[in-house]
Amino acid sequence: MTTLTDQDTQGGPAVTPRNPTPAAAGADTARGPVLRVRGVGKSFGGAAALTDVDLDLYPGEVHALMGMNGAGKSTLVQILSGVHQADAGTVEVDGQAQPALTVRRARKLGIAFVPQRRELATDLSVAENVLLGDLPTRHGAVRWRQLKSEARRALSGLGIDIDVERTAGSLTVAEQTMVEVAREVRRGGRILVLDEPTACLSAEAAHQIRRLVRTLRDEGVAVVYISHYIDEVTAVADRITVLRDGAVVRSAPAAELGPAALVRAMVGRDIVSRRSERPAPRDEIGLAVRDLSDGRAVRGFDVQVRKGEIVAVLGPAGDAQSRLFDLLSGRRRPDTGELLVDGAPVPFGRVDASLAGGLRCVTGDRRALGLVPGMSLDENLLLAGDRLARRRLHRRGELTRRARPLRRRYGVVSLAGNPPVSALSGGNQQKVLLAKWLGTGPVACFLEDPTNGVDIAAMADIHTLVDELAGRGVAVLLASSSAEEVMRLADRVIVVSAGRTVAEHDVTAITRDELVATALGGQPQ
Amino acid sequence: MSVTTLPDAPGTGTPPGRGRRPSRLDALRRAPHAGLTAVLVVVVVATMLRTDAFATDTNLINILRQVSVTAVIAAGLTLLMTAGGMDFSMGSNVSVTTALGAQLLSHGHSTVVTVVVTIALATMIGLVNGLVVTFTHVAPFVVTLATATLLDGVALLVLDSVSVSIGTRMFPLGNGDVLGVPYLLILAVLVLAATALVMRFTVFGRDAYAIGGNEHVARLSGIDVTARKLTLYALTGALSGLAGLMLLSRLGSSSPGTGGLTLQLTAVAAVVIGGTSLAGGHGTVTGTVLGVVLLGVVANALNLLQVSSNYQPVSVGGVLLVAAIANEFHKSRSARN
Repeated sequence: MTTLTDQDTQGGPAVTPRNPTPAAAGADTARGPVLRVRGVGKSFGGAAALTDVDLDLYPGEVHALMGMNGAGKSTLVQILSGVHQADAGTVEVDGQAQPALTVRRARKLGIAFVPQRRELATDLSVAENVLLGDLPTRHGAVRWRQLKSEARRALSGLGIDIDVERTAGSLTVAEQTMVEVAREVRRGGRILVLDEPTACLSAEAAHQIRRLVRTLRDEGVAVVYISHYIDEVTAVADRITVLRDGAVVRSAPAAELGPAALVRAMVGRDIVSRRSERPAPRDEIGLAVRDLSDGRAVRGFDVQVRKGEIVAVLGPAGDAQSRLFDLLSGRRRPDTGELLVDGAPVPFGRVDASLAGGLRCVTGDRRALGLVPGMSLDENLLLAGDRLARRRLHRRGELTRRARPLRRRYGVVSLAGNPPVSALSGGNQQKVLLAKWLGTGPVACFLEDPTNGVDIAAMADIHTLVDELAGRGVAVLLASSSAEEVMRLADRVIVVSAGRTVAEHDVTAITRDELVATALGGQPQ
Repeated sequence: MSVTTLPDAPGTGTPPGRGRRPSRLDALRRAPHAGLTAVLVVVVVATMLRTDAFATDTNLINILRQVSVTAVIAAGLTLLMTAGGMDFSMGSNVSVTTALGAQLLSHGHSTVVTVVVTIALATMIGLVNGLVVTFTHVAPFVVTLATATLLDGVALLVLDSVSVSIGTRMFPLGNGDVLGVPYLLILAVLVLAATALVMRFTVFGRDAYAIGGNEHVARLSGIDVTARKLTLYALTGALSGLAGLMLLSRLGSSSPGTGGLTLQLTAVAAVVIGGTSLAGGHGTVTGTVLGVVLLGVVANALNLLQVSSNYQPVSVGGVLLVAAIANEFHKSRSARN
């Protein structure tokens, strides 16, 4: 916390400029902010989640909200959208103080929230979703033709090209986001809060979302953009506000904030993200996959990972990675292929065989496949370990004692006691997931997007943990959609596209830009 | 810029939850099963005010004897529902068991043979439910609703639509006691205690929570989900068999309509009142015990107060609704803290 520069401390809440001028050319400053937050504070059960937060939103401006998990972004957004009421401070919309902002009232005022988990009615058509709650009817019967044309108009007005007759369930995540945005805008949303709209998206899909955000800005909507991705925020935002420990530490035009300054503001210290020295891999093969094919998702995948080596599989999110998880973990049987762990063949399609062979697969989807939400932190930590050790009895006190070293080693921070794992921040949940598997003496590991949706400090911690894992002589196969992560961790990288291996490189013999070019181009250079 | 306190934010700055000091009442309210216990206390006190016949030893023992059969079924159901399963056929399994038991005994078979055969059959029925559920992925509710209807019919066939008496065979089990405690109650308490211990202190019990909480995670964590589910369904079957024998010994005969849907619904109501999640992942035997006792007390109170038996289902439904709402309030309250 001591590495803050003068420049940083100037941005502290006490001296935040009260009437900041938006940087965007298109921002409509003449009419003043559409939303003004002053001195807002909120505490939950004694813990202060927000203190003295100021925020100004102007129409036609993209205002990025950054901060680590638990910095107070969600609380602030929940206050704006009326889910929580502030303990202190004021929220003004169009210059009118809004002392009792409820969800309904916020919506009426045009404040709309697009959550990270999209909320569409998956069995209904896109058109119905766009007009949901406001379907055109005549004598109680839905007027389908009018419904479709209005939906089409709402989408095309924002430059979105999606067939309105498709069912929402068939949309990609990016398309779902677009439909949800169109719905909110049509309902009169003029302050739009987007919560990590590009998390888990491929580069192309993320690009589409950013284009939509720019269209919204040009239409005069005030956009609050929450994201962990620094590159993206500096590219899309006009103004950036950084929260740390519930307070605003920096609020400035995006042009004034470089990546390094942002990281420092968010974390309060410099984050070292350099490759670390690891002992050279041994000459034994820890994990070998031969000619693995499964439908169109994985085609002829081959890899050999030595003990102590990290081999990355780089591809757009949602390409081969999650299917590799299903196949290697034994959840799914491939069409063809062979798997050897520590030289011994392991049959596909059986979770127990995969585990018994010493292979540990860590999912990139911790909510669906990683943790049991209602169970306590400690029980989740030991869920797999206790079953592998064939334990029969379960005692809470003893469980806590055994979980303690795991918590410490994997840096799981919990406020008090042993809460349900769902109460932890994303970064902490991810560490629990890693500890659950890496603490069970693996021979080989498959890690799918291990830093998905975690803040930069947790990301750095997790990278260190993966380094240590390889340092212990474990063969690590890492599936990732981030070139930075691959450059930081891997010894070798296999670039995949549409399920096929398109290139293989020694990481030390390639630059980041070359790697990105290979991944984007989909062709070996 | 001055910091304005909003008019509706009472006690700004007082730390704990929504501006109030934590009182003992709060702690009490957050205690597990607080809402349910409160409802139970209200019903008991109200009944005691209206009639002296309620708070007597004989009446209380009578209540407990009557709820014993439900309690055994509810115990199995608690474990199964915690694991995300559902067995709607337990009541009908009881019908089949009592019918078969009565026929065996009335045809001169020994009690031992009867007990072994009926419990074996009941376990098989549970296992078949389990096999269909695990290998076809049809929703457990649908599978067991179908088997429930089927078993109701089988029970009628076994009885040939007439009442079959077992005379005084098994009479001591159904009506005897040791030091004033009925054998049936002892059996029920043993089953409940065993279930509670399994759920809390064994990995098998924790597996149930994990499977109910997230079946994919459970499987990936090395839990043999299929084997666990089969065991759980077989177990609920076996407990249905035990409950059937208990019921038979108390009634001394088996008639068309013994057990069946009424018993099933009472058990499900008790488990749900006790806070076990229909979606799986949560459940306690303590809650189930409270639910079983609450329903038993309500039925008994209505009897003592000479309320028409037509009001019984009305009141059971009412209690279920009130308790479910109380549970939900309690849950959202503790979730916010």
